[in-house]
Amino acid sequence: MFEDENEDADLYCYDFDQEFEYDEYLEGPRTVLASSTQVITKESLLAAQKADLQSVMQFLPISEHNARVLLIEYRWNVEKVLDVLVDKGKDYLFAEAGISTSKREDSASSSSSSSSLTCCVCFDDVSSNNASMMDCCHTYCNTCWTTYFIVKIKDGQSKRIKCMDPKCNTVCDETIVRNLVGATNPQIADCFERSLLESYIEDNNKVKWCPSVPHCGNAIRVDHDDIYHEVECACGLQFCFNCLLVTHSPCPCTMWKLWMKKCQDESETVNWITVNTKPCPKCHKHVEKDGGCNLVSCICGQNFCWLCGVATGRDHTWTSIVGHTCGRYEENKVRGSIRAKNELHRYIHYHNRYKLHLDSLNLETKVKVKTQEKIASLESKQSKMIDFSWALNGLNRLFKSRRILAHSYPLAFFIFGNQLCHGKITREQRDTKKILFEDYQQQLEYNVERLSKALEENFDTFEELDVMQTRLDIINLSVHVDNLCFKMYDYVENDLLDSLFPTGDRIAPYISKGIERALELPAGISKQSVDLESSTDDKTGRHASLKHDLPRRIEDGECSSKKRKEEASTGDGFLDLNVPPPPSPHSLYKG
Amino acid sequence: MLDAARVQKELVECNKDCHISGISVDLHRDGSSLYHLTGTISGPLDTPYEGGAFEIDIVLSESYPFQPPKMQFKTKVWHPNISSQNGAICLDILKDQWSPALTLKTALLSLQALLSAPAPNDPQDAVVAKQCLNDHTTFVATARYWTEAFAMRTTVGTEEKVKKLMEMGFPENLVRSALENVKGDENMALEKLCSG
Repeated sequence: MFEDENEDADLYCYDFDQEFEYDEYLEGPRTVLASSTQVITKESLLAAQKADLQSVMQFLPISEHNARVLLIEYRWNVEKVLDVLVDKGKDYLFAEAGISTSKREDSASSSSSSSSLTCCVCFDDVSSNNASMMDCCHTYCNTCWTTYFIVKIKDGQSKRIKCMDPKCNTVCDETIVRNLVGATNPQIADCFERSLLESYIEDNNKVKWCPSVPHCGNAIRVDHDDIYHEVECACGLQFCFNCLLVTHSPCPCTMWKLWMKKCQDESETVNWITVNTKPCPKCHKHVEKDGGCNLVSCICGQNFCWLCGVATGRDHTWTSIVGHTCGRYEENKVRGSIRAKNELHRYIHYHNRYKLHLDSLNLETKVKVKTQEKIASLESKQSKMIDFSWALNGLNRLFKSRRILAHSYPLAFFIFGNQLCHGKITREQRDTKKILFEDYQQQLEYNVERLSKALEENFDTFEELDVMQTRLDIINLSVHVDNLCFKMYDYVENDLLDSLFPTGDRIAPYISKGIERALELPAGISKQSVDLESSTDDKTGRHASLKHDLPRRIEDGECSSKKRKEEASTGDGFLDLNVPPPPSPHSLYKG
Repeated sequence: MLDAARVQKELVECNKDCHISGISVDLHRDGSSLYHLTGTISGPLDTPYEGGAFEIDIVLSESYPFQPPKMQFKTKVWHPNISSQNGAICLDILKDQWSPALTLKTALLSLQALLSAPAPNDPQDAVVAKQCLNDHTTFVATARYWTEAFAMRTTVGTEEKVKKLMEMGFPENLVRSALENVKGDENMALEKLCSG
């Protein structure tokens, strides 16, 4: 592809610089990124929840039940609990969440002296053995409590079952609920248990269920506040953490939803309409010809010629319409239907481009198998080159940029259209932005196609030197495409979305290496390590250095496999899309 | 299953001091089911509702008292938190703030309190609420008129109506039963008598 020697040399240097950068990238942020998303499976859910409970219990001397009540109230945000505690005090914190701090022991002793009491719900006299008292000192008979709990659990209010006393805000002790309901209705007790457990996912801004169908049972936790983020579940599904749809950057969530809806509404219809109908020149309704000659009458009464779509009179024969000819080609003939057609055409234009890239993506997945075959045959040749990750890396870069390219069309459709952006900026400003954006798009498109072509070449049949050349081409193009993607994201974020929708959606940041697969949380995390981890977690920011040190030590000591797994995944070429091969084969090549 | 023992106890308890509290609960006149009751509250003093007797339809669910009773005014009443159309009530303790330790009597007491303290900012009936906020005098007058028209059915009033209808030439026993059937509404009774 690059016949010019100089250009080659230039590109080679470029490549080398990039490699240096990537090495740095690998060392530094990678470790941080790797821990930014975690998979929570059924097994590790309990451990994850326990860790947060423990961290609250560390700075507040409360029971696990009350820690859970606090965390459910504050959406499992340990820092928020801490902030409220510092700002407004313990009493406020407890009162808001419904935790009772009244002395239980005093009244317990006084009530035990009287052997029977009247339950204020059923008005029956019961012995104190058959009654239960909550932390708030309100006592009712066990039968009433049980019925009440069951009604509440069935109502879906398991997470905050309040005391039966009319004015009491205290949340009932989960142990009492568990014991009483479990004794008569184990199924409902299970339901209660599950909803307490799943509260960690459902009432937590940082955790969301994986949207896979059928559901893989996992949830994803992100460790930062940025909700515009793309994640990959352990089941392999990549999705947008904000809207839970498949990854769609650089198109923002709102536009993507509109686009999906539009595609669903219109794809079938639009295809059919364009093929089978013509718009009436008077009312612009789409008219279908159901037989007969070429003079068509619209429902509005207008007659027109089916061949050219122009309004005509009514007098006609089977072969001609009086006073009308359209066999001759006439230039610049302005048709009344153009305005109505324009919007449809605009949609069709963007949709076709969008579809085209998705189709290419589908076709290119076949290339993957072929590439693997090619690599296998090259490896069998026992050449000097032993590392072929460049081919797979190039391929993954291609898939990724193809997807980005496809998603850039819905973005363009909405951002340069009237539906969402009418009147936000002047027509001139819009045109300038549009031209710039389309430049980025075109450059990316051009280079993606070149990359695609380079990868489809049968380099396994090449001479050694040519293989080197192809390798270099692919690496260079990958880097180039990567840069272009980065620039496009930057442009979209800063010049398009910021100026048009200052308060609206953002897009997920561009991650050169592709979406990080979420790490699995260890399920059987021991209590000691939970303590350690939580002690660092809850002081995020204050003991940043601690946080970096401690958990890693735990990893080293306990689950060293995790680290090994990470290293292995670096090698398989799926995570590191654009990392050139390790130095040893590279230097081999240079020599 | 409805806790019949509790409902029975509640009825006895409530009707014990009904002459003081002005609140009573009875079985609904159509049937003898504990699920369907009728409550009566007297209009609180120093309000436009004073002197009125307001009937409330009470329906209990299977899981009463663990779920709130359904209450609805049967007597027409002009109040921002009560629908002037169908008598639906907007009161938190009849919805999410219900507690099993509350009783029919406490709920009816709350309704009585609601009559003396309207909350037009959380309205059930927007028209009434608007009037209550913007033109309080008219609101009081309307409420008073509605109380007199719908909630006061003193025997004197009935006797007058009977007399009036009898003067039109209807026999007394028919007049009385007709008035009884339409809950004392003179015009409706007349209509009923005319239609036979």
